[in-house]
Parts: sequence; structure tokens; C-alpha cells
Amino acid sequence: MSQAIMQSIKDYIMGEFLPGEDPAELTPTTPLISGGILDSIATLKLVMFVEETYGVNFEPHEVDKENFDTLDAIVTLLRSKISTVAP
Amino acid sequence: MEVTATAGARVLADDPASLRARISLRDFASIAVQLVLLLLLLRQFQIEGTAFVQLSAVVFAAFAVHAFLPLRWRLPFFGGLGLLSIPMVLGVTNGAWLVGIGFVLIGICHLPLSARLRTALLLLAGALLIAMRAKLLPVPWSEAIWPILGSMFMFRLIAYFYDLRHDKQPVTPAQSVSYFFMAPNACFPLFPVIDFKTFRRSHYAADAHATYQRGVSWMARGVVHLILYRYVYYHLTLAPAEVDTPAELSQYMVSNFLLYLRVSGLFHLVVGMLMLFGFCLPETHKQWLMASSFTDFWRRINIYWKDFMQKIFYFPAVMALKRFGTTNAITLATLYVFVLTWFLHSYQWFWLRGSWLFVPQDILFWTLLGVLVVVNSLIEIKHGRNRRALGKPSWSWRRLATTVGKTYLTFWFICILWSFWTAESVRDWLALWSGLNGALTPQALLFPAVILAVVLAGAAVEMRTSVRPAGGAARQLTLERATTVAWLAALVLISVEGVHTRLGGEVATFVHSLRSGHLSRLDNAKLERGYYEGLMSVNRFNSQLWEVYSKKTDNWLAGQGAGLKRFVDGFAQYELIPSFASSTPYGTVTMNRWGLRDQDYAPQRPADTLRVAVLGASSVMGWGVGDGQTFEALVEERLNTQSPAVPFKRFELLNFGVPGYQPPQQLMAFQRALKLQPNAVFFVATGRESSRSASYLAEAVHKQLPMPIPQLQRILEKAGVTPGMEQAAALKLLLPHAEEILSAVYASIGRDAARSAIKAVWVFLPQVREGSWQEETPAALRAARDAGFEIVDLGDVYRGRDIATIRLAEWDDHPNGLGHRLVAERLYSELAARAATLLAPPAPLSTVEATTK
Repeated sequence: MSQAIMQSIKDYIMGEFLPGEDPAELTPTTPLISGGILDSIATLKLVMFVEETYGVNFEPHEVDKENFDTLDAIVTLLRSKISTVAP
Repeated sequence: MEVTATAGARVLADDPASLRARISLRDFASIAVQLVLLLLLLRQFQIEGTAFVQLSAVVFAAFAVHAFLPLRWRLPFFGGLGLLSIPMVLGVTNGAWLVGIGFVLIGICHLPLSARLRTALLLLAGALLIAMRAKLLPVPWSEAIWPILGSMFMFRLIAYFYDLRHDKQPVTPAQSVSYFFMAPNACFPLFPVIDFKTFRRSHYAADAHATYQRGVSWMARGVVHLILYRYVYYHLTLAPAEVDTPAELSQYMVSNFLLYLRVSGLFHLVVGMLMLFGFCLPETHKQWLMASSFTDFWRRINIYWKDFMQKIFYFPAVMALKRFGTTNAITLATLYVFVLTWFLHSYQWFWLRGSWLFVPQDILFWTLLGVLVVVNSLIEIKHGRNRRALGKPSWSWRRLATTVGKTYLTFWFICILWSFWTAESVRDWLALWSGLNGALTPQALLFPAVILAVVLAGAAVEMRTSVRPAGGAARQLTLERATTVAWLAALVLISVEGVHTRLGGEVATFVHSLRSGHLSRLDNAKLERGYYEGLMSVNRFNSQLWEVYSKKTDNWLAGQGAGLKRFVDGFAQYELIPSFASSTPYGTVTMNRWGLRDQDYAPQRPADTLRVAVLGASSVMGWGVGDGQTFEALVEERLNTQSPAVPFKRFELLNFGVPGYQPPQQLMAFQRALKLQPNAVFFVATGRESSRSASYLAEAVHKQLPMPIPQLQRILEKAGVTPGMEQAAALKLLLPHAEEILSAVYASIGRDAARSAIKAVWVFLPQVREGSWQEETPAALRAARDAGFEIVDLGDVYRGRDIATIRLAEWDDHPNGLGHRLVAERLYSELAARAATLLAPPAPLSTVEATTK
């Protein structure tokens, strides 16, 4: 499941923010915010995408470098959200 | 669990943080060598003053101890260092108050109450402190603690409380103390807004050696920024009134914006210093000259502020508004952030200066920047943002040209906006643009060409930089160290007198000018304008003058300032209030019935008496010294006790000094003096007589004051100045006639004195700051001689004296008691030595001579 989530988010990032770039370069640990790929607007667009796709809600304080700097971190946060909302 | 010992400290070998925190002796030695070079550089260039150089020595020594402490002791050690630095800078009593207030605020955050109640208590404590800062309540501590207390808590408390509520990781006392009382903060009222979560998460989050090296590199970069700043500040800045041509306009715009180098330099220094204690913090500024759009500018300049606003206000606002759609939410939240930025800027000003700052330029600047960022954001939402790349960005001439074009345009647009923001008034800013009507010379291309070259080089470098550095971390570290050592060594070398004096006189003078921190000629002019006008008009941003004034207590000589003058109709505008008395920390200030700061004198001059009307400004009146301590009073006493060989039994020196009086106003003072029948007048002149005369005339024109003599009216007409004209515009037209204005003033006084058989003596009294404001003195001296004055030049009266011993305070260059005694001694000597000339009344002129003179 984690792989599927990661792939979906990766696809979104590649399509939305990194068109034309080599997908192989975007690894689970590539720095997204500190590496300049996600700025504030891009982060918010990504947040909205994840919220809509997975039916979760992020708190404002969760939208930070700790949770959104890598694909790994995003998936970890998302999994914790999904497990909370799951019946 | 395996335990190893490193440099006397026992670390847990399987604890990654402990492993990251270790540094080999070899690596430590390489950092230590660089710190020694850096300390030399700070000392050689007197970066941020002696207190900072001393604090840096303490901090670097503390680093040497800290680097070998067990990890668990390092944060408490750093916190302790911070606490210790406060009394070092502020003194024990004030330091204790500051720390005490800080602990109360931190304590409130941790009370076992609901978040809402704690918020209310924090607001209450804030309101109490605001009332104290605004002097609505008395305080037992010195005002000196406010800027530092403000810089420690005004924003950090918000970030701290926010994270306390949301971050699940428990906060330790060492983290709290370290966060609020960071060691370098005691020296810097302007301090980056460091995020609490980032601060504690970053503690040894990366390899210690790499973190230390980055810290040293950033400090070196900070020093380079500060030296560049000095170049701009001392050699490039222009006053708005000096902008007459397109070349000067571009120089004004660029230099005004580049003054921001001081903030970026200081922030690099501060953050670099924190990194020496293991905090692997992010960049505070990222090549801010290279912004290619307004959103890009916002992201590159003062990144910590942007992150603070984003975390505390922007993201919560967007999340709350997202039901209106992403685009609408982002638009509204961005505008909200800019309104708040404007407000918080005023809030910051309040803590640092004690008054609220609400000026139209601020509101308009933030509104305009907010709108521009929103427009940029909307474009980015719709079309995406360029320049994101995973690997090395692709190189193309077309891409380079586009980047350079966008960056170049953004730079100039920001320069224009910045000039508006920092202008003293909207009118002053509008008057700047008349420079476009001046002569178009090849120099007009200088700044546009230099900026283009910088942007071109910067864009080429940025395009070659990838997200992930090539060659690995070790190579990166080696490169960083080599670059830093090269910069440090080169700058230390050039700063050595034996080296730069060998490079020729011009280079030596230039390097020497950069080696000391002092006010630029423009800020000195402002300081001394305050000296003359009693006004404290200080640039709101990034000005060293602002820092000098920030040390000034708000009630500085309040007794003297309050009610000292009264407004009068006519050209002089104001005069001292008769029979007024006030007590100041420097003694009593008493005015006699004639409105002179002096003892009482009969309206009729007694027989056998030399009655001298002493005309001048605040230094004559005796700003900052008590009655009887002015040089005028001391000379009078000396003349009466040790009378020179002249045919007078008594000497009366009448003090006609009025703070803020400019040479043209002395025309009115002299007319008042004539009523008291003087037989001599001493016109006490000082620096920049001509340009100050032109400035006053421009003010008089703007206020439509009647000209006291027809000669001044004729000059106005010749210069094309019309009544009611804007002061800045009038000044530009009058400055070329400044010497003529002064000559007219002197000639009028000289002529009237001759008509009334009054000996006219022109006394030159220099500024206490040796050598300043002297450029117009030879011309003023010539004008005085031509007008018939005898000349007494006291130009060397303060020579060789330490300015700190003869002026009132760092922010007030009036002579103190010692200064007045020196002047009195010197003036008496001159009078005694030339008594036959200076203290003998002239023979009355015949009517024919008087009219033709």
C-alpha cells in the first residue's frame, strides 16, 4: 500500500512540478522542500491533492519540512492519518 | 552496549546523535585555525564594535570547550553561555531583570492550564510589558534592556508557544533557555526569527564537523557582506538632495537597496555562530540579488521571517480558507500575511524604539509588495514555476537570457520600491525623480552595467548548481573550507597596515576607510542635523544611525527640550522663552528676562564696559551643560578676573545662542541683540555654514516666511525658487547658491555692525568630531573676512582629544563640560593675545562709508 501511495504522490510531483525531469532522480529521500522543489504554493497544492485523493485532513502545523520534505516523510504522515480514519 | 571514550568524554557508540556530534582533533584544529583568522578579521575591521569582538572571543573559546563535552551537557552549556552573555553586555542588574522577565514569560507557557488560559495570560503579560515600554508604568530597570528583551521574545515567544501546543516532543529546560537566551543575541537587537522546532530538531542533526565548517563559512560570508556594506554605506550612498542626474539617481537606487547587506551580513554571522554549537540551521538569505520575481524575492530575502509567517499565519489561513478553493485561499492568505508583516514591523519597531511606526510609505510598500506577490502566485498556480530541477539544470543560452532578463527587471523594480519604502516622506521620494531631468552622461550606464554583470554571473552560477552537490559531501566540505580560508586569509592580509599601505595611497585610504565602523557622511549629517535642529529624524531601516539613537534614552535632556523655545512670527520662527528655568541631569538651564541663557543684564550698556553679543546655535547656548558652564560664561568670568590690556573695566558676554539656529536666523538674533546696545558681536560659526544656510532658506521658502533682507529675496528669484515650493525641490535649486546666501547673511550683519560701531568678530568653532563638516569652512572664512569680520579660528580646539571625553554622548555630539572649558580656554587666549584688535570697538563709520560698504 505504501508503495502505491508513494508512486501516486511521486507521479503528482513529477507531473505538476518537475515536468521533463527523470523520475528515477526522485527517490524516497530526495529533499523536496529544502531542495527547492516544493515552495509554499507547491506544498499547498500537494497538500490539497493528498487530502482530496485520500480523504484525509492535515492540520496546519503538520504542513512543515518535517512531514513534507521527502516522499518517505509524506507517506509516513499519510499512513498515520489513514490508520486513524480507517474503521 | 559498547561504550567508547573520545577526548575524555564517554559517548554511547550506538547512539547516532552522539556519533554525529564527535569531531576528530584534526578536524577541530582546522575549525580552530579558521576561527582564529575570523577573530583577527573581526578585530581588524572592528566588525560590529568592540563588544561584539569581545563576545566573539568568548564564544569561540566556549566552542573549544563545548566541542569536547558529552552530548548531554552541550545544550545546558550553550544555554549557560547565553545567560552569562547577557550580564556581560547589559550589566548584572539589568541582565538579571531581563533574565527574570524571560523566565516569567517562559513559565507562563508551561503552566498546567488550558492553552486558551495560557494564551490569555501571555497576552496580559505582553500588555503589561507594552505599558511599561510605552512608559505608562514605571520600571526599575534601564531602558537598555528593551531592545534586547524585545528581540529575544517578541517573535520567538509566538513560535515557541505554537510548537509547545503542537509538537509532541517534550521540551527540556535546556532547550527553552538555549532558545531564548542565545549567546550572540545580547549584542544584536536585529536578530533572525529562528523557529523553535527547527532549532531543537537541528541540534546535531548533521555531522558536527560539517555543521561547524558551514558555520565558519557563513560567518566569513557575513563579514564579507558587512565589509561590502561599509563600501556602499561610506562611498556610494547619496542624500535625496544630491540626486541631480540620471547617473546619481541610479546610484541612489542601487546603494539604497544594497544597504540591506548589513542585515544579511549580521544574520549570517549570528546563524554561523549558532552552528558552532551544533545547530544545523537553514540559510537565512539565499542570493537575494538574484530574485527573478516578487515571490522569488520573498522566498530568498530573510528566509526565517518568511518561514515564521508561513508557519504561524499563512498555512493556518490557507487551511481555514480552502473551502473557497485553493486559488482564493492562497490569494486571501497572502494578502493577510502582508498586512500582518506591515503590522509586525511596527510592533518590532515599538519594542526596539519605544514608539509605534505608522507611516504611509510602510503601508503602501507592504500593500504593493503583497499585491505583486499575489499576482506572481496566481501566475505560478496557473503556469507553474520554472527552475525546478532534480539534477543539474539543463544549460541553454536562451534559458540564461530569460533568467537574466527577469532577474535584472526584478532587481530594478525592487530598487525603486525599496527607495520608496526607505524615503523620509512620499514627497521626498517624488522629488528624487527630478534627477531624470539632469544631464545624461556616460556615468548613467555605470550602475546598470555593473548590475547586469553581477546578474549575469549569478545566473550562470545558479544554473550550474544542482539540487544535490556533485562529488559528494566530503569534496563539498573540502571546497567550502578552502574557499573560507582563502577569503579569511586574503582579508586579514589586506587589513594589515604594512600591506595595504604598500599598495599606494588611494588603496590604503580606501582599505582604511573600511576598517572602522562609523557613521557615513550622510548619517553624520543627520546626527548633526539633530544636533542643530533638536530633531531626531532617523532612517527607519538598516541604519547605523538608528542603532546609535537606539542607545539614547527617550528622556534624554527632556527638561531642556520641553518648553525651552516658543514660536514667533517671522523669519526666525522661534526663540528661547524669557525667564524660563528647568533642571536637567547636567544642571540648571535658566533664561533671563531677555530670553538669553544667561544672567540678567541691564538694558543700557554700562559705561566702560565691553558688551559682546554672542550669536550662535546650541553649542553657544550650552546644550547639555549647566548654567555658568558654557564657554561664553567661562570666558566672561575670565575676562573680568584677568582683564587684558584694553580700555574697558568690565566685560559682558550676552549669550544669544539658540539651539537649532542656522546662519540666516542669526540675522534676526542680531536685530534683537542691537536692542541691548552691544559694542561687539561674536558670530560663532561652525561647519557647513553655506549648505545649512541653503537648507534653512529652502525651509523658509516652503513655509512662505518673509525674507529678512532683500539680498536673500534676489537670490531666490535668481535660483528660480517660488514661495511654497517643496523643500526638497527648493533645496536643489538653492544649493548652487549656498555660498552666495551665506555671504549675503554675513555681509548684512557686518554692515549693520559697522553702522552701529560694533566690532564684528567671526569665531569658528568646529564639531567635536575632528575633521567633520570642514569642507565649506575656507569659503565661509573668506565670506566672513569679506564682510568685515575679524577672524578667530578655533579649528584645532579639540585636536588630539578622544571624542568620547569631550562630547555629551554617542548620539549627541554637543561639547560636554570639558569641551566647553577647552573652548573657553582657547577663546580667552585668542582674545587676550589679540586684545587690541578683537576687544577694541571700531571707529564709527561715516554715513557715506556705511552706505557704500
